[in-house]
Amino acid sequence: MAGRIFGIISCNYNDDSFGQLTAVRSVASLPFGGRYRLLDFAISNMVNSGIRTIGLVTPYQYRSILDHVGAGKEWSLDRKHGGLFLLPGSIYGPKGAHCSFMLRDIIKNQPYLDRAKADTVLICGSSKVFNMDFRPMFAAHEAAGGGITMLYKKVSDSAARDALYLDLEGDMVKNMTRETIGAANCFMDCFLIDKKLLLNFVEWYQNFSHIDMTEIMNDNLETLPIHAYPFEGYLGQVNSINDYMRCSQDLLRAEIRQELFGGPAKIRTKIEDNPPAKYSAEAEVRNSLVPTGCQIDGLVENSILFRGVKVKKGAQVRNCVIMSKCVIEEGALLENVICDKFVTISSGNKLSGTEAKPLVIGKNSNI
Amino acid sequence: MQKKECIAMLLAGGQGSRLGALTSKIAKPAVAFGGKYRIIDFSLSNCVNSKIDTVGVLIQYRPLMLNSYLGTGAPWDLDEQEGGVFVLPPYATQAGGEWYSGTADSVLKNIDFIDSYNPEYVLIISGDHLYTMDYNRMLEFHKKNQAELTVSVIEVPIEEASRFGIITAGEDGRIVKFSEKPAHPDSTLASMGIYIFDWPVLRAALQADALNPESEHDFGKNVIPMLLEERRRLFAYAFSGYWRDVGTIESYYEANMALLADDCEFDIFSENANIYSNANIFPPHYVGEKGVVQNSLICNGCIVEGEVRNSILSTEAYVGPGAKVEDSILLPGARVESGARVMRAIVGERAVIEVNAYFGSLDQSQPIAVIGDNEHVADDLWSGRY
Repeated sequence: MAGRIFGIISCNYNDDSFGQLTAVRSVASLPFGGRYRLLDFAISNMVNSGIRTIGLVTPYQYRSILDHVGAGKEWSLDRKHGGLFLLPGSIYGPKGAHCSFMLRDIIKNQPYLDRAKADTVLICGSSKVFNMDFRPMFAAHEAAGGGITMLYKKVSDSAARDALYLDLEGDMVKNMTRETIGAANCFMDCFLIDKKLLLNFVEWYQNFSHIDMTEIMNDNLETLPIHAYPFEGYLGQVNSINDYMRCSQDLLRAEIRQELFGGPAKIRTKIEDNPPAKYSAEAEVRNSLVPTGCQIDGLVENSILFRGVKVKKGAQVRNCVIMSKCVIEEGALLENVICDKFVTISSGNKLSGTEAKPLVIGKNSNI
Repeated sequence: MQKKECIAMLLAGGQGSRLGALTSKIAKPAVAFGGKYRIIDFSLSNCVNSKIDTVGVLIQYRPLMLNSYLGTGAPWDLDEQEGGVFVLPPYATQAGGEWYSGTADSVLKNIDFIDSYNPEYVLIISGDHLYTMDYNRMLEFHKKNQAELTVSVIEVPIEEASRFGIITAGEDGRIVKFSEKPAHPDSTLASMGIYIFDWPVLRAALQADALNPESEHDFGKNVIPMLLEERRRLFAYAFSGYWRDVGTIESYYEANMALLADDCEFDIFSENANIYSNANIFPPHYVGEKGVVQNSLICNGCIVEGEVRNSILSTEAYVGPGAKVEDSILLPGARVESGARVMRAIVGERAVIEVNAYFGSLDQSQPIAVIGDNEHVADDLWSGRY
C-alpha cells in the first residue's frame, strides 16, 4: 500500500464552536486523551496502514501543529523518500462555513500532488477520533474500479451533530445532506480519490477555488463513481466543547480504550520525557486517566488529566479534563470543568459547570 | 571525522550476576528502574545534559535488549550527524576473535573508534549507576589541575568502604594511594568508577597494560595503580549528591522504593531533571472505579482495577480487580491478575501473578521475592494464606 497511495490531512477547519479552546490553536491540535492531540489519530491511522507520504494542510493557527509534529519523527515520517510534507493552507473562507477540504488548499499545493508517485490519495480530516486500518478500504476502492470511496459510520443520533450524511444505494452514494434525523450514514471526513480525478477537480473548478471537495462530489453525483465504505468501530466526533467533553469521557470506558489504544496499531504522539506519575498517601483516584509527570495528592474522579498536572492535598477534581501543567491548589473543588494548559486554580476556589455545559478555563489563567 | 574535545566510553558489558533473575536474560544496564527508565538511561542522560554527544557503549553480556533499546540514540538526542551513540561489541580479527577480558581491555579493543574522533579527553563511565552529574564540572577540574587522570569520588560509610576502590588524596586533591576493594580501608573516599583521562595517557597505559600477563585488564585493579606507580598526575574529584551502584536485589529494591519518599534524594521529578528514556507510546494509565493508588509511582499504559500501595508500576503493568500490590515493583508489562496479592516483591517484565495467587511476604525478615521475566506464579491452592 505504501507505494500506491499517499495521504493528505486537512487541518484547515472552521473552529468557531470551541470558544477559548481554539482561540490560539486549531481543532487539529486540540489536546485529547491525556497526552494526544486530535491530529494524532489521522496521522497514526495513515502510518499504521503503511502510508509513508503524508501532506499536512496547515490551518491559520499553525504554531501548535508545527510544534507537535516537527519533522514527523514520532510517526517514522522523517524520511529520505516521502515523509511528512507541510502544505500551507489558504486563509479560511467566510465564518460559519463548513469547509473541511477546500479545493484551494489543493490548488495551492499542487506540486505536492504532481510529484507524489502514487495514483491514489487518501484525504482525511483531523477532528475525528478512531483507530482504523485503511488497507481493506483501499482494497474495496480498487475492487470497485477506483474513483472516489467515502468512509462512513452508521450513527443513530444524526440530528445531534452537524456533519455530512450519505444516502446510499448499495455501496453507491446517491445523495449528501447535512439535514437528517435518527439513524444515518455519517461521513467520517475521510475519502480515497484517484489522483487523476483530483487533478480533474482542480481543472474544472479553478475559478471556484473556495469550494469544498465534498460539494464538488455532490454536484457531480450523477457522473462520478462515488462509493461508500462502512466503518464499524468506535467513532469519536469532536465538533463542539460538549462533544469534546463527551468524547474525552468515552475514554474511561474499557472497551473504547482497548479499541483505540490497546491493539498493535498504536496511536503515536510527540514524546516528552516525564517521570512516572507520583501518588501520595492521601491520593484518591477513581475511574480516571493519568499520564506521566502528574503529582496527585488529592481526589480525582471520572476525569482525564494531562501530563504534568498537580492536584494538591484536599483538592477535588470530578468529571473534568485538566490539560498539561495545570495546578489545582489545596482545597480547590472542580466539577465539569475543562482547564486549558498552564491553568492554576488557587486554594479554596469552587468551580463548576454542568454536564450539559462544561465550564472552560482559558489557557494560562490564574484563578 | 570531526575532532571532539571529549567523548565518553560507557561500560555496559557486565552481567550484574548478583541481580539474579533480573539479569538472566538482559544485561544489568538494561534492567528497568523507577517505572519508566532502564538503568543505562541515567548515564546516557548525564552525557547529553553535559553536552557530550559521542558515546561508545561497550556491550558483551546478553546485548539484544541494550541494542534494541539504544537504537539510533534518538530518544536521548544522540542521533547526531557527527558522533552520536555507537554500540561496540567484541569482534573478530584476522588473528581470531576474543571477548572483552576486562574493563580496560574493552576500551583497548576500541582504540580505533576513539582515535577516529582524535579527542583530548576520554570519559569512562559505567552503564549501571544511578546518579545525575554534570561531567563538564569534572572536566574543568581535570583541566585546572592539569591532571592526566581524574577519578570522581564520593564519601562512603567506613563499614562499606571495602566494597569500593578506596582513594587517599592530598589537600590539593592529588591521589596518593588507590586500593581496589581493600580488606582494611583507611579512607572513606570511594571511586565512583567515573574517570576522565588525557587520551594520549590512557592510550599508552592501555597498550602497556595489555602486554602485562599478570594483569586482569581492569581500570581499578590494574590501570590506575600502574599510573599511580608511574607518578602520573592523578586527581580525585569530590562529588556530593545521590549516587548508587545497585549491585544486589536488596539495594535495587531499596533504591526504587526510595523514589516514593517525599524528600527523595535521587531527584528524578524536578522540572530540570531531564532524564531521557526510550519510552514506548502508551495511553495514560487508567485507575478503575474500585482502584486504589497510594504512595506509588505509576507509568503510562498501566491499568489499576485493584489496590496499589507503596509500589512502583512500570509501563503497561496490570493490576486486576480485587488484586493487591504492596511494597512491590512491577516491571514493564507485569500482570497481577484478579484476586492475587503481591507483597515486598519484584515481578519481572511480562511476568504474571495468576488469579488468586500470592507472591512474596510482608515479613521484613524474609528476603525480597523475585520472579523473572515472562515467568508465571500460579495459585497453589494448598499453602496457607498470610
